[in-house]
Amino acid sequence: MKKLSKLLLVLSFALSISTSSFAVTVASWGGAYTESQKLGYGDPTAKKLGVPINWVDYSGGLSEIKAQKEAGKITWDIIDVFAMDTITGCDEGLFVEFDFDKDFPAAPDGTAASKDFFAPMPSKCAVGNILYSWNYAYNTNNVKGTPKTIKDFFNTKKFPGKRAIYKSALTNLEIALAADGIKPGKGGAKIYKALETEKGVNRAMNKIKELCTDPNGGCVFWSAGAQPPELLVSGEVVMATGWNGRFFNAEIGEGAPIKQVWDGQGLDYEYFVLVKGGPNEADAKKALAEMTSTEGLAGSAKYIAYAPWRKSSLKVMAKGEPWYKDGKTNMVPQMPTAPANTKNYFLVDPLFWADNGTELGEKWEAMKAGL
Amino acid sequence: MSSETKQILTTDGIPLEASLKKAERKNKIKAFLLVAPLLLFLLITYIFPIGDMLMRSVDDKMVTEMLPKTFKSMEKWNGNEMPPEEVFKSFYLDFQKLVEEKRDGKLSTQLNYTKNGFKSILKKLRRKAKNFEEGNYKEQIMAVHKRWADIEYWLAIKRRAPAYTSSKYLKGIDMYKNEEGKIVNVEEDRRIHRILWLRTLEIAFFVTLLCFLMAYPIAHLLATLPMKYSNLLMICVLLPFWTSLLVRTASWMILLQQQGVVNDFFVMIGLVADDNRPEMMYNKTGTYVAMTQILLPFMVLPLYSVMKTISPSLMRAGKSLGGTPFVTFWKVYFPLTIPGIGAGCLLVFILAIGYYITPALVGGASGTLISNQIAFHMKSTLDWSFASAMGLMLLAGVLAIYWIYNKLVGIDNIKLG
Repeated sequence: MKKLSKLLLVLSFALSISTSSFAVTVASWGGAYTESQKLGYGDPTAKKLGVPINWVDYSGGLSEIKAQKEAGKITWDIIDVFAMDTITGCDEGLFVEFDFDKDFPAAPDGTAASKDFFAPMPSKCAVGNILYSWNYAYNTNNVKGTPKTIKDFFNTKKFPGKRAIYKSALTNLEIALAADGIKPGKGGAKIYKALETEKGVNRAMNKIKELCTDPNGGCVFWSAGAQPPELLVSGEVVMATGWNGRFFNAEIGEGAPIKQVWDGQGLDYEYFVLVKGGPNEADAKKALAEMTSTEGLAGSAKYIAYAPWRKSSLKVMAKGEPWYKDGKTNMVPQMPTAPANTKNYFLVDPLFWADNGTELGEKWEAMKAGL
Repeated sequence: MSSETKQILTTDGIPLEASLKKAERKNKIKAFLLVAPLLLFLLITYIFPIGDMLMRSVDDKMVTEMLPKTFKSMEKWNGNEMPPEEVFKSFYLDFQKLVEEKRDGKLSTQLNYTKNGFKSILKKLRRKAKNFEEGNYKEQIMAVHKRWADIEYWLAIKRRAPAYTSSKYLKGIDMYKNEEGKIVNVEEDRRIHRILWLRTLEIAFFVTLLCFLMAYPIAHLLATLPMKYSNLLMICVLLPFWTSLLVRTASWMILLQQQGVVNDFFVMIGLVADDNRPEMMYNKTGTYVAMTQILLPFMVLPLYSVMKTISPSLMRAGKSLGGTPFVTFWKVYFPLTIPGIGAGCLLVFILAIGYYITPALVGGASGTLISNQIAFHMKSTLDWSFASAMGLMLLAGVLAIYWIYNKLVGIDNIKLG
């Protein structure tokens, strides 16, 4: 009996060592999003490299990985993070810096990886995964007429009813200025230039304040991505800003009576980072290159309406239409990066928010407190 | 000689006193060993982290060590005009060393906490500094970005010179120490923490009050009803207690929203017009309703346990001595329930003060509480020292309430069951 238990102990110990040094662990946001990652490129990569990939859920932010590092026991290899976090984490020395053209494969037509990305990376530690949009949608049953522009979102005379907006300043200030008549310029540069000044910030805050205190308008602040479609469907609000993938799911997946508007959308990004000193850094690096390849990224767009970071992935998708998993929906027009959707847009500037996030956050909360 | 003979000896020839002490010591060690795991547990999971938080919240050595030359040369600078060339030169040297060690990112994070806007200009400086020529660093640095020519940013660096700082605590109440060492308010449109503290206290206070008002009759019923009814009632109290917090919050959202069940009902019975449905959610009403319901069992249970022990004969005695029902209740019954009230109120208040998921979901614009702010700095900005400082301030607040309670009612007068 004693021998048996000893044997078991040794076995389990050996097993735990082998699995921990063998598998690659990726921390991501969970839900339909992680599902798309797992099916789209996680499983194919695991099969190709012969390395199991474990997906764990986390709720964002860098506190967990920082705590893991401080405790001396890092358990994650790859993390799916926001742009701002790649900058902060890179500065703090939590992540590995990349040499993009060397570490990541070129596109099928031979374009170097760094040229194939939709935009330059915000830091040397980040490799792009998806682009998603902060656009807005409306309930077709409750809105008379068709809102077309970002100005319509703020136009309570023409489209009365409550609006749902994100709880923090992020992207709200940008759309406020875009609706107030500032042309975003290339990638939204003009908006961010205006927000660098106190005048611009006040202008944006006032625009939001006006909307929220308007008796014909009013604001509901959402915090979780599932809320905007829910608020629209329940009739609690007539228009809501939100993440396009969620609207897509409600609209196409569930047949809800909502419609998206792309004018004045904010393109935001999701990145992968490689944890420095992670349990299986070498394999994780290989897996990361595979997952973010042209084919890999295109794979995830089969399951969710977020755009791959590589321009070449869109070509793969266009060839394979209808690309959506239901076999009848064309995916390219649903992509935030599709030409029809990027006539008037801004790129959410992570460096601006890394710089000014705290201060603007305080002003935003102070403004909200006065509503 | 004589005193030794008087000593009482045990059968083994050891003085009785020593023998007793020995036996007692053994018991004491045994008792201590029994408590030791708990003590150790408390030490590791409670005392130690709080000590660590305290250290984090005042420790500012990191920046002091990163810019040694800069701070030394800044000692002579009075802060009225732009710093002299010497300061720029030593800053350049310190910064180049940090870049070599790849620690400049940490510096930029730290300085960005003191004043927003450092991150990008330090990044830019790192890029440009490679091509700097020897001498006249002031002009070269100032040419990198207009913020480097702004005295405010240099004053912000100077503020980080001391190895220990109370600035995080001051920031927690929207104040800071200016260059003359005076403690002043931050600009008006950035004063957010005081609003949040007051809002947190206000919500915690009213939720406690509402819980008390609702729980007292329920607990009384529970304690006085015959067993078969009171058991059923008890299950009704406990059932929501066993349901997940998020589920309960979400249910309230379904009930209270403008197109929700409660409003539909009001419209159906003609209480309100269809196009004028009252807003019961995304404001304070929603927060109070949901939080009161969620925290109610924490008030009912201690009250019930105390009321159960009050003999009904006391009330009868009071009445037979000529007291009206109200007087007997007020003079006899109520004072006896104070230990339960104390326990319930403290419990609910302390839980409410640290709450944030429910207010964030149903509270709308007023749903941000101080704990949301702590979570924000823990997770997003990674300013753990500021988060620690606010956490400790919250703890201090709770301790203060505990102290006031002790003064007013006496902590021995508390009974949880």
